Amino acid sequence: MTAAATRRVARPSGWYGMLILVATESSLFGTLMATYVYLRFQTAVWPPRGVAAPSVTVPTVLALVLVASALPMAYAARAAGRGDRRLALAGIACALVVQAVYLGFQVHLYFDDVSRFSPRLDAYSSIYFTLLAVHHIHVGIGILLDVWLLARLSRRLTPYRRTAVAAVAFYWYFVAVVGLFVTATVLYPSW
Amino acid sequence: MTVGTVARERIERLDRIWEERPGFTGWLTTTDHKRIGILYLATSLAFFAAGGVEALMMRSQLAEPNERVLSPGTYDQLMTMHGVTMIFLFVIPLSIGFFGNYLVPLMIGARDMAFPRMNALSYWLFLGSGILLYAGLLLGHGPDAGWFDYVPLASRKYSPGPGIDFYALGLILNGMSSTAAAANFLVTIFRLRAPGMSLNRMPLFCFAILATSFSLVFALPALTTDLVFLELSRKFGLHFFDVGRGGDPLLWQDLFWIFGHPEVYIIVLPAFGIATSVIPTFTRRRMAAFPLVALAELLVAFIGFGVWVHHMFATGLPEIALIFFAAASLIIVIPSGIQIFAWCMTMVTGKPEFRTPLLFIVGFILFFVFGGLSGIMLAAVPFDQQVTDTYFVVAHFHYVIWGAAVFPLLGGLYYWFPKVTGRMYHERLGQTTFWLVFIGTNVTFFPMHISGMLGMPRRVWTYPSALGWGPENLVSTAGAFFLTGGLVLLAANLVVSAWRGPAAGADPFGGATLEWTTSSPPPAYNFAVIPKVTSAYPAWDEEDRQTDAGRLERGELVLEQGHRTPGTTPVDGHLGEILEMPSESPWPFVLGALATIGFAFIIANHLVMAASTFGLGAVVLAAWHWKEPEEA
Repeated sequence: MTAAATRRVARPSGWYGMLILVATESSLFGTLMATYVYLRFQTAVWPPRGVAAPSVTVPTVLALVLVASALPMAYAARAAGRGDRRLALAGIACALVVQAVYLGFQVHLYFDDVSRFSPRLDAYSSIYFTLLAVHHIHVGIGILLDVWLLARLSRRLTPYRRTAVAAVAFYWYFVAVVGLFVTATVLYPSW
Repeated sequence: MTVGTVARERIERLDRIWEERPGFTGWLTTTDHKRIGILYLATSLAFFAAGGVEALMMRSQLAEPNERVLSPGTYDQLMTMHGVTMIFLFVIPLSIGFFGNYLVPLMIGARDMAFPRMNALSYWLFLGSGILLYAGLLLGHGPDAGWFDYVPLASRKYSPGPGIDFYALGLILNGMSSTAAAANFLVTIFRLRAPGMSLNRMPLFCFAILATSFSLVFALPALTTDLVFLELSRKFGLHFFDVGRGGDPLLWQDLFWIFGHPEVYIIVLPAFGIATSVIPTFTRRRMAAFPLVALAELLVAFIGFGVWVHHMFATGLPEIALIFFAAASLIIVIPSGIQIFAWCMTMVTGKPEFRTPLLFIVGFILFFVFGGLSGIMLAAVPFDQQVTDTYFVVAHFHYVIWGAAVFPLLGGLYYWFPKVTGRMYHERLGQTTFWLVFIGTNVTFFPMHISGMLGMPRRVWTYPSALGWGPENLVSTAGAFFLTGGLVLLAANLVVSAWRGPAAGADPFGGATLEWTTSSPPPAYNFAVIPKVTSAYPAWDEEDRQTDAGRLERGELVLEQGHRTPGTTPVDGHLGEILEMPSESPWPFVLGALATIGFAFIIANHLVMAASTFGLGAVVLAAWHWKEPEEA
C-alpha cells in the first residue's frame, strides 16, 4: 500500500451518523408536508372560514434569519477543524444568540396563533400547528446541542469534540433548509 | 494456527483490554455486538413464543363453527397482538437485531459496531417497546384494532380505552430502536470494513442488511408521523382523520402502508441475505451472479417504496392510481426473480449437501415462489377486489412472511448455532424437524387459500356452520398444532445441544465468510489480527489466512494498545485511520429505561411526569458523552 493510500481518511463516523439522522428527519418532514398538501386537497376552503391566512413578512424574515445563523456555525466548524478553540467558541456563541432570539420570536408567534384559532378546530389547524411545532422542537434541540458544545469546548478541543462541532453544524444546515420548506408550506394559503 | 510467544502475549493483551464486567450487570452494561445480539435473540424468541401461543388460541377458537373458546373482545386483542408481535417484536429484532448485530461486524472483519453504545440503546428501547405493548395486553387493555390499526375504528370515539395508546406509543419507541439500529449498520458497513474489503467484496448478507437499513431510515418516519397524528387526535382532539372536520381516514392508510410495504422487504431482505450465506457453503461454490444479486437486493428495497397502494385497492381510489401501483407491484417480481434464479443456479451447478440449514433454505425458495405467485394474483386489481379482506390474503402473507422470511431465519439459527455456542446441533433431528415444520406450514396455511376463495373474511371471531368453512379451518388448526410440535423439537434440539452438543471448532461447515475464520464462540475482539481480504469469500482464501498468522506475530493490525478497530474509506475499503472505540457503559440501559417510563407516563396521561422523565433523559445523555473514548 502506498503512503498516499494509507492517508486517505473518510469523514468521522459521527458525521456519517448525523448524515443518517438528517436523512430520516428529512423523511419525517417530507411526510408532514405531504400530509399538509394531502389534507389541503380534501377541502374546498383552506384555511377554513374565520381563520385568516398567515401573514407573510415576519415568518419569511425569521426563516432567513435562521438560514443566516448557519453561517457562524459553518465558521465554527471550520475553526474547530483547524484546532482553533476560541474562534469555534465565538462562532457557536454567535449562532446560539441568533437561534435563541429566533426561537423566542417563533414561540411567541405560535401562542399568538393558538389564541386566535384552536388546533382542535379542524384539519387545517391540526396540521398547521403540528408542522410548526415539530420544526420548533428541532430548533430547540439544536440550541441544547449548542449549549452542550459551548460547555465542552470551554475547556479543551479534542478530536471527539471536533467531530461533534462538525456534526452539530450539519444538523443546523438541515434545520435551516427545512425551515425554508416548512415556512413555504404554511404560507401556501397567502401566496 | 500455531501461535508463537509474541503472538500469545498480544492475544493476552487483547483479552485484557476487551474484557467486560462479568455476571448479570455485565449484560446491562455490555457494548459487545455479540452479547447485544444474544440479548436480541433471547428476547425476540420469547416474543415469538408469545405470538405463537396467541396464534394457537385463535386457531382453537376457529377450529369449528360457533366455537366459544375465546370472547370476541379477547380474540381481537390476540389477533392484533399476534401481528404486532410477529412483525415488530420477533422477525425484525431476530433478523436485524440478532443476525445483523452478531454477524455484520464479524463478516466485515471489524471488532464492533460503529456506535457500540447506541447499539445497546437500540436493544433497551426495543425491550421497552415490547414491555409497553404487552403491558396493555396483560392489564386487559391490549390494542384490538388489528395490526394496521385503521381509523376510525382506532379513534377515541370507537376505541375509548388505552389499548390503542399502548399500540401507538409502543410502536413509536420500537421505531426509535430500529432507526438507531439502521443508522448503526449503515455507518458500520461503510466505515468499518477490514482493509481490502471494497464494496464489491462485501458479503451478500451485508448487502441485504444495507438495503434493509436504508429502507428503515426512510420508511419508519411515515409510521412515526402517522402514530403521532393518531395520538394527537386521541389525546388532544386534533383532526387528521375526521371527515367531518376536513380530515381523511385514508390518510392513516396511506401513511401506514408507505411504511408498511417497505416493511415487508425489511422483513424479507435479511432472510435473502441468510440464503445467500448458506447456499455457497453447502454447495461448495461461489454465488452465481454475485453483482446482480447485490443490485437486486438494493432494487427490491427501492421499488418497495412504490407499491404501497396495493394494500388499498378496495378503498375507492382513482383507477389511474390503481394501475400505477399494480404495475409497480408486478415490476418487483424482476429483482426477486433474479435472486431466485441465482440461488437455484448456484445449487444446480454446485454440489449441494442437504444439511438442515440448506433444507430450510430450499423450503424458503419454494414458499417464496408460492407466496410470490399468489402475490402476482393479488397485484391484479380485479382479482384483489374479489378476495380482499378474505383468508386468501392471510394465506398469501403467511406464505411470504412465515414461509419466506422466517424459514431462512430458522435455517440461520442452525447454521450459526455452532459459531455462537461453540457446539454442534443434532443433525438428524434437525432434518426431521425441517420436514415437520415444512409439512406443518403447508397444512396450516394452504387451506386458507380455499376458505378465502369460499368467501371467509379475515379477522372474524367465529362463523356459522352453514357456510361450509368448517373442514378447511379444522385442517388449518390441526396444522398449526403440528407446526408447533416441529418448533418445539427445534427449540429442544438447540437448547440441549447448547449444553451437551459436541465441540464444533472454528469452522464446522467450511463457510466462506470471515466469521468462520475466528474461534467459536468468537473472542470479545472478534479477530486477534484484522484479517486480510482480497475477495468476497475470504474464508476460502487459504493463502491470506496463512499470512494472518505471520501478521499477528509481527503485530500488523493487531491494535493491542487499546479498544481499537480500523476505519476504512466507504467504497474502496482503504485503511484510513485507527478508531478508538467506546467500551461498556451503564448509560444506554438507563436512557432506554427512562424513555420507556416516559412513554408509559404519556399513556397514563401524566404529561408533566413524562416531560420530567425526558428532561432527566437529556441529563443522562450528557453523562453518557462526558467521558470520551480516548480518555477511557
